[in-house]
Amino acid sequence: MKCEEVHRLLDIHLDGELDFARRLELEQHLAVCSSCPSLIEEHCEFRTFFAANVITYEAPPRLEARVRAALHQEQAKERFSLFLQPWIYATAIVVVAAFVALNILFPGAEDHLSQQAVLLHSNSLSTEHLVDVASPDPKIVKPWLTARLDFAPPVVGSPASGYSLVGGRIDVIQNRSVATLVYKNDTDDEDVVTLFCWPPKKDRLSDTDHSVEGYRVSTWSTGQCNYILVSKLNNKAMDEFLDSFRVQIQSGAYY
Amino acid sequence: MEEQHSRFEELFLPQLDAAYNLARILVKRDQDAQDVVQDAYIRALKGFKRFRGGNPRAWILTIVRNTAYSWLKKQHPGSTDIVPFNEAIHHTPIEESTSEGLYEERGRLLNEALNRLSVEHREILVLRDIEGWSYKQLASALNVPIGTIMSRLSRARQCLREEIAKIQHKESQNEV
Repeated sequence: MKCEEVHRLLDIHLDGELDFARRLELEQHLAVCSSCPSLIEEHCEFRTFFAANVITYEAPPRLEARVRAALHQEQAKERFSLFLQPWIYATAIVVVAAFVALNILFPGAEDHLSQQAVLLHSNSLSTEHLVDVASPDPKIVKPWLTARLDFAPPVVGSPASGYSLVGGRIDVIQNRSVATLVYKNDTDDEDVVTLFCWPPKKDRLSDTDHSVEGYRVSTWSTGQCNYILVSKLNNKAMDEFLDSFRVQIQSGAYY
Repeated sequence: MEEQHSRFEELFLPQLDAAYNLARILVKRDQDAQDVVQDAYIRALKGFKRFRGGNPRAWILTIVRNTAYSWLKKQHPGSTDIVPFNEAIHHTPIEESTSEGLYEERGRLLNEALNRLSVEHREILVLRDIEGWSYKQLASALNVPIGTIMSRLSRARQCLREEIAKIQHKESQNEV
């Protein structure tokens, strides 16, 4: 090894990063060279001098508090950053709009049924064609219906006090024949209640009670039958009618 | 999240002195160094998921270093804060002295000279000679080959000696 190479490798050697083979060569050179050992010594001294004199700065006492505060602020910001993202709001708007649009374009199955039921109810009123078999007696109405349907509908004669059976007819709701029973308030000819019923396949109706186009529509299912009941709005007697009717169906108090 | 946050503080707040020292040597002014440290800690918190154990001090110092560079770039666009230096490697003898007063004087000269070096040279001297990083660590943190680390370190030391000599020379001329 020549002196020039020693000069080149000097720092690497003193940093302890010289590979073993070259360190050996370097040490061999130092053993015989007249100038290099003093150069090495000088470099070592400079390093000692550097280590002893270089200023190392300590963090000012207030820096830690400052950094802590900034970290806490950042953490709080991160926690709420989700709500600061504009895309969150854009997504929310799109989802809501899509939901509304879907409901307008494709109303839910039950909404659709309710609308059909309301249409049948209001048509029967306007054409004054309430029933095809007119009788307050379930024993007459039921066989008539059963003969024209693939099921035997439960027929309640007097669902609630003040209401009587007018009779029955067959309607078609969503491409299937259903039993339609009509009740009327004994003292008010305008107060007509229409009940549609049919056995569900997989489409069990859930319990709902809402107004559709100016009528009160109640839906429910017993498992044996789906029911849709259409009546006037704001008729307090209907609550009792509904409760009483459902109890009679449940307890088997029908023909 | 709270737990992660307290783990972060446990790991990295003890490194605040080292972080500040590096920042201070790189950007020079106290207020700027504090800003850089604060920025670096926030960057570190955001990137904490990427910390896979290892040496927390080396990790935070690498982030401090990167933050300081971004800061310098923003403060002095176009310039990289490199003080021109002599590429030729030549030996600058340092006079022997046993006098204590002169030794203190040389300490002042050292820090003044260090301050005059380019940011790359200041950085590599802090990380190697104060923090004691290996060449491998330096290469990985500064994202350059080990060969570059070797030549840069050697040149940084050379420049430091030259700067000390220059200041000494200037001051002795002023005295005359």
